[in-house]
Amino acid sequence: MELRFESGRWRALGPGVDLEHSELRGLDALITAAFAVPGGPSRVHVRFDLDGLPRWLRQYHAHYCNYVLRVHTPPG
Amino acid sequence: MLSTEDWWAVWLGLGLYGASLLTLADYDAVGWMARPRAWEWTDALNEFAWSKLLSASGTAYAAWHPLAAWLMTYAVFGVLLCSGARCLKLDIKRFAFGFTVLFVLTWICWIAGNELHLTMVDAAVDGRNRYREAMLSWGLQLGEGAPYLLALLAGLAIGNFAKGLAGRLKEAAKPEWFIKTAIVFLGVNLGAMTIEATGFAIELILTGAAATFVAYLFFWPLVYAMARRLFKLRRDVSAVLASGISVCGVSAAIVTGGAIRARPVIPVTVSMLVVIFAMLELIVLPGVYVFLFPDQPVVNGAALGMTVKTDGADAAAGALLDELMVSRHLQTTGEQWQTGWILSAAVLTKIWIDVFIGVWAFLLALVWVYKVEKQAGRVSVAASEIWFRFPKFVIGYFVAWLSYLAIASSWPESAATLASGTGALQSPMRHMLFMLTFVAMGVVTDFSKLKGLGRLALLYALALVVVIAPIAYAVAYVFHRGLVPPLAD
Repeated sequence: MELRFESGRWRALGPGVDLEHSELRGLDALITAAFAVPGGPSRVHVRFDLDGLPRWLRQYHAHYCNYVLRVHTPPG
Repeated sequence: MLSTEDWWAVWLGLGLYGASLLTLADYDAVGWMARPRAWEWTDALNEFAWSKLLSASGTAYAAWHPLAAWLMTYAVFGVLLCSGARCLKLDIKRFAFGFTVLFVLTWICWIAGNELHLTMVDAAVDGRNRYREAMLSWGLQLGEGAPYLLALLAGLAIGNFAKGLAGRLKEAAKPEWFIKTAIVFLGVNLGAMTIEATGFAIELILTGAAATFVAYLFFWPLVYAMARRLFKLRRDVSAVLASGISVCGVSAAIVTGGAIRARPVIPVTVSMLVVIFAMLELIVLPGVYVFLFPDQPVVNGAALGMTVKTDGADAAAGALLDELMVSRHLQTTGEQWQTGWILSAAVLTKIWIDVFIGVWAFLLALVWVYKVEKQAGRVSVAASEIWFRFPKFVIGYFVAWLSYLAIASSWPESAATLASGTGALQSPMRHMLFMLTFVAMGVVTDFSKLKGLGRLALLYALALVVVIAPIAYAVAYVFHRGLVPPLAD
């Protein structure tokens, strides 16, 4: 998933998924809910889109907040 | 390893250091480096010669025309930095143009700043009073601090009054890159100084580490509490601001922002504050310390390292403090301290802080995920963050320092050759990168950006004056009091 911060809201874009929420925690819940389907992935890698940071700042942090979400997938 | 300024500082610094070691095989590969000479304006006007203003630093290049040495310096640094800029994916045309302007401006300030009325101190050194010998009727007696002040003023004038030009220079105005490369050269310098005063160097390093650790037990919690209780800021804003003010400026702010998953606008805003306040600290603190505490050189250097929050501003302020304190001490006592020790105190303290960032980011990420957001089991935190955030230029600094020590102590008969071979790095190259840093910092500093930052700027200023500066000074005093640099030969 690609993570963006646009117009004061967090947005996650991925395969067939476009979700947004004002709080990152809320977005995490939406992502896990979207993937918690039988046969879905158990881990979702969320990668921050660095275009959201000014260019001069990127050298200080090459990934900003990339993280991995664990999804409890129901048995298929 | 080719895509960050940190690593490029290591490659450039160690590459030139490696070239300087060819002196051990009787080949001077860096003596072409130009250096400014002390000059007096009536003498230069009466009978002008470039050789009165400039010369090549190595004796093997003494026959070179001074302008040839200067052009060689431009060509070598231009090619090396443009190569780095290409790997850093910068716009090469804009970088080359910006670097050329900055280089010329730097050298104008450096040469002008070496005029005797600005630098010469009215005191006898080795039985000679060069101020009296030059028959000067007046003098500012700023020592080598004069070129730094000129460079800073020139940069600030562009950054604040010629913003169009500043915009065109920004691609090449990289104070952090310049200073990190200079810090690798400073490792060579520290190696040479350690040979002369081993005990003092070890004491400086150990007390610097201890002082930094103690200071940070106070800094972060106090600033965080101020932000939460006094200014009623959100948890994430308070945490990022506390790291920016108390740990290590821009780097800590952005790392903390990532670790606690703050909205990106927060570290961006805090980083702007950090850069502008660091410039204010650079302008104010060296003069204040020299005026208030003229007898505590190492305490002043270490306090500066804990107070000024960017590597560039800290090293620049340390260099300025070093020159101003040595000149002031010479003026008032007739004793000349070795230059470089006060700067080393400032830089070593900052290096310990830089190393600390990765650990702090990791701990904060754990606290946020497991305690604040209570996301245990859903979001994972990797310990690799510590290495990822490790400031790589520190590796270059320590490699340069320890390898110099190893060579000089393994082959004592080569120590003098080593010292003279690396002389171009220790003095003119390091000074030129410091001068470039001063100019570049001025160019990227626009004080008008403080408008609209209201409460955050007020909190930053308050935390700096009430928490950071006094505690940093107290801790530096506890660990370094009484330490003075060895006397110059």
